Amino acid sequence: MAEQYKGKVDFYAVYILEAHPTDVWELQSNVRDKVLFRSPRDEEERASVAGACVRKLGIKFPAVVDSFDNRIETAYTGWPDRMYLIATDDRVLYKSKPGPFGFHPQDLAAALQKAVGTPNQSRALAASSK
Amino acid sequence: MAIKKNTKRWLGGIFAGLFCLWLGFVGYIDWAMRQPPEVFGHVMAKMPMPAYFLFPFETMWSDARKGSLDMGGKAPDFTVKTLDTRAPVSLASLWIDKPVVLVFGSYT
Repeated sequence: MAEQYKGKVDFYAVYILEAHPTDVWELQSNVRDKVLFRSPRDEEERASVAGACVRKLGIKFPAVVDSFDNRIETAYTGWPDRMYLIATDDRVLYKSKPGPFGFHPQDLAAALQKAVGTPNQSRALAASSK
Repeated sequence: MAIKKNTKRWLGGIFAGLFCLWLGFVGYIDWAMRQPPEVFGHVMAKMPMPAYFLFPFETMWSDARKGSLDMGGKAPDFTVKTLDTRAPVSLASLWIDKPVVLVFGSYT
């Protein structure tokens, strides 16, 4: 989707506090997928885990890291995951329901279509042919 | 007849007690959902899986985590560090030229 809307909309990952760190709430899926990290002790450790996340998941768009006091997560209620579409005049155009249940890319796609129109056709075709 | 009445009272008392226990349990989960994520995580880590089905998790979660930022509202600005260069940047500067999608999440 980020590729389809390139030039019209920018995508950013906002890396926040861990959803299932080993020292708080480790799930079986964490063990199965070998995604085992404790709660970061400082900003640099959080950035290190964020880097591993971006590399392993192949996230192509840029990422920013929330400060260690979790100010951005608190203001946007982003935990454990959530999506926002924000206009150039600072208005929130789309706010997903909180994850994991509310994380629906198709709802974001509908909001993007409403806000900026259809995705770039050539990119959409190239993306779909891969 | 008397035995049936007593049985009904006894059963009614049991159900009333169980209902009160369930209300208390749901209230505790609702409280936990509104706490910081670490507190909520510690509560849920101790909960056996079958207990997840004893309350309307998704409905309660959506309400607890709705937050104060609504659609149409002004997205707050903060100074944040980029992952690649660790340089500070104003969050609002990301959407100056074109709309932005913010995807919140973590690896775990």
